[in-house]
Amino acid sequence: MNPFALLTIYRKEMLEMVRDRRTMFSMVLVPIIAMPLLFKVAGYFLTTSDKQAEAQAVVLAIPERLAMPGLEDALRAGGFQLQVSDDPRAAVEKKKAAAAVVEAQSPTGDPLVRLYVDRTRTASDKASDKLRVALDSLKTEKVRAALAGSGVPVKVLTPFTVDRVDVAPKGKKGKMELGGMIGYIVVLLMFSGCMYPALDMTAGEKERRTLEILLAAPASRQEIVLGKILAASTAAFITAVLNVLSLSYAFSSGAIGKDMHDALGNMQVDGRVIALVLLAVLPTAVTAAAVMITISAFAKSFKEGQSYLTPLMMLVVFPAIVGLMPGVEASAGLMLLPVVNVSQLIKQVVSGEATAVNFGISFGSNLVYATIAFLVAVRIFQREDVLFRS
Amino acid sequence: MIRVESLSKTFHDKKRGEVHALESVSLEVHPREIFGVLGPNGAGKTTLLRLLATVLAPTGGTASINGYDIVREPAKVRASIGFLSGDMGLYGRLTPREILRLFGELGGMRGGALESRIAEMVALLEMQSYADTRADKLSTGMRQRAAIARAMVHDPPVLILDEPSYGLDVPTARLIEKFILDARNRGKCIVFSTHVMEEAEYLCDRIAVIHEGRLRITGTMEDLRAATGKTRLREIFLNLLGIPDTRMEAHA
Repeated sequence: MNPFALLTIYRKEMLEMVRDRRTMFSMVLVPIIAMPLLFKVAGYFLTTSDKQAEAQAVVLAIPERLAMPGLEDALRAGGFQLQVSDDPRAAVEKKKAAAAVVEAQSPTGDPLVRLYVDRTRTASDKASDKLRVALDSLKTEKVRAALAGSGVPVKVLTPFTVDRVDVAPKGKKGKMELGGMIGYIVVLLMFSGCMYPALDMTAGEKERRTLEILLAAPASRQEIVLGKILAASTAAFITAVLNVLSLSYAFSSGAIGKDMHDALGNMQVDGRVIALVLLAVLPTAVTAAAVMITISAFAKSFKEGQSYLTPLMMLVVFPAIVGLMPGVEASAGLMLLPVVNVSQLIKQVVSGEATAVNFGISFGSNLVYATIAFLVAVRIFQREDVLFRS
Repeated sequence: MIRVESLSKTFHDKKRGEVHALESVSLEVHPREIFGVLGPNGAGKTTLLRLLATVLAPTGGTASINGYDIVREPAKVRASIGFLSGDMGLYGRLTPREILRLFGELGGMRGGALESRIAEMVALLEMQSYADTRADKLSTGMRQRAAIARAMVHDPPVLILDEPSYGLDVPTARLIEKFILDARNRGKCIVFSTHVMEEAEYLCDRIAVIHEGRLRITGTMEDLRAATGKTRLREIFLNLLGIPDTRMEAHA
């Protein structure tokens, strides 16, 4: 292997890459601007719709008269705006009220308060929760009054109280959620960031008829493939670096929006975490590049290559999403699975839960996958039926 | 300089089965010689040139270039040749100067020597006005000049040129012809394929005609005339292919 030839091929691929608009878009623009912007927009819509739902949740439809003593006052005390309606149930169905309260009789003849809610609407769901609190409070008041009349101490209502203590450090939940999100986004964008360069270096070169002269140049097939894989890996890694830095900045600075920032516990992503995340993704960047170069080498054109790589992108989504799932605990077996391990590892690193063993297993296994993918790519580049498929 | 012995290439095609693109071709090309390879489309010319350039591997026979075997020593063969493919093969996003630098470096050239060589090639092929313009912005003639300069930049002793004048206007084709003749005079061994009979007749010291993967004849124009009884290369070529020359019949 001639390192000078390898470096020359690498430099050529990098030069072509930076002059390709599609690559620059997926490698630079998407991770720096699109993802933080997406979070900001998503955060804005989430908080806006939540505020709207909160405002709508206070509108309650009731019949012209509520017979139960104290019920109307309890509802008003619960913060509801009471709206008299001929048909309270229809008012909920037509979204004129978040919920409705009517009185009826149970089969045993006892008083029954019937609530009409629409569980598919956030406002109605919130109203349902508020109603439960208001009605529980009224019920307690009535029991308390009855007990006072009969001479039984009120204390009998609360034989004990429950105090739940969360032992998780402050902000850990937010970090776990953020880690899962960063893991998913970084892995996904890393693959998409190296997709165009990988296609361009193989199927694109075939289509533009430049591969033949490169194969006839004084460089071995190994040097050519390794140069291409290194360049595509660089693209994947740069995408990951830009993505991690922009997301970290967006999350730490609150550029994603105050509400989203508050929801994530005002968390900060420090330099050590960023460095560990980038180290964790490094072998996966090489694997992604080698796999994509191998697959797209079979394509005769850029367009054909795209149709080969699109299913791969979909295959990556499912294991990457494991990191987002709550309750998935990192086991040694999980840390051996490609893509799953790196998204899980990023989640652990961001939440401060990563162990040296898990890091080692994930990093080591991804190094093995990268080596295998590279060897397969070299073999594929020796095959005339692949390179000169017509 | 180039020695080809019983060289064969068979492709396996799913629909057509085994395709014998080249069958037992033997020939020799010497330094300071221009050797033309003629043949109709699909005759096996490009396959022969690709085999010599080590882009494809033979399924039978042997060949050596500059003393190096094309199968056992492909790296040394590639360092000894300048290869121009039929499609030019220029990187559209790079400038001719960058392309020359890339292939010069792959050919083992460095620093000042490489920059001097690039300047020399740019001047020789009259590329001064567009040497720093991206290749995808250039005309066909400009691109072909850049492609030939690319094949020659590391100053190899052997040139393998697949249809170097394809699609060129007369002045550019003339410039390329002059360049090939100059290269021969500087001791290069040149193999090139073409469909332009006048060009082959004017440039080549010896000519080979390939048809259906087989070598039909090799020799100087005099040898070809003697073997076929025809005068012009076009007549000789059609005679070897067993095709009547309608142009001659029209004159008769």
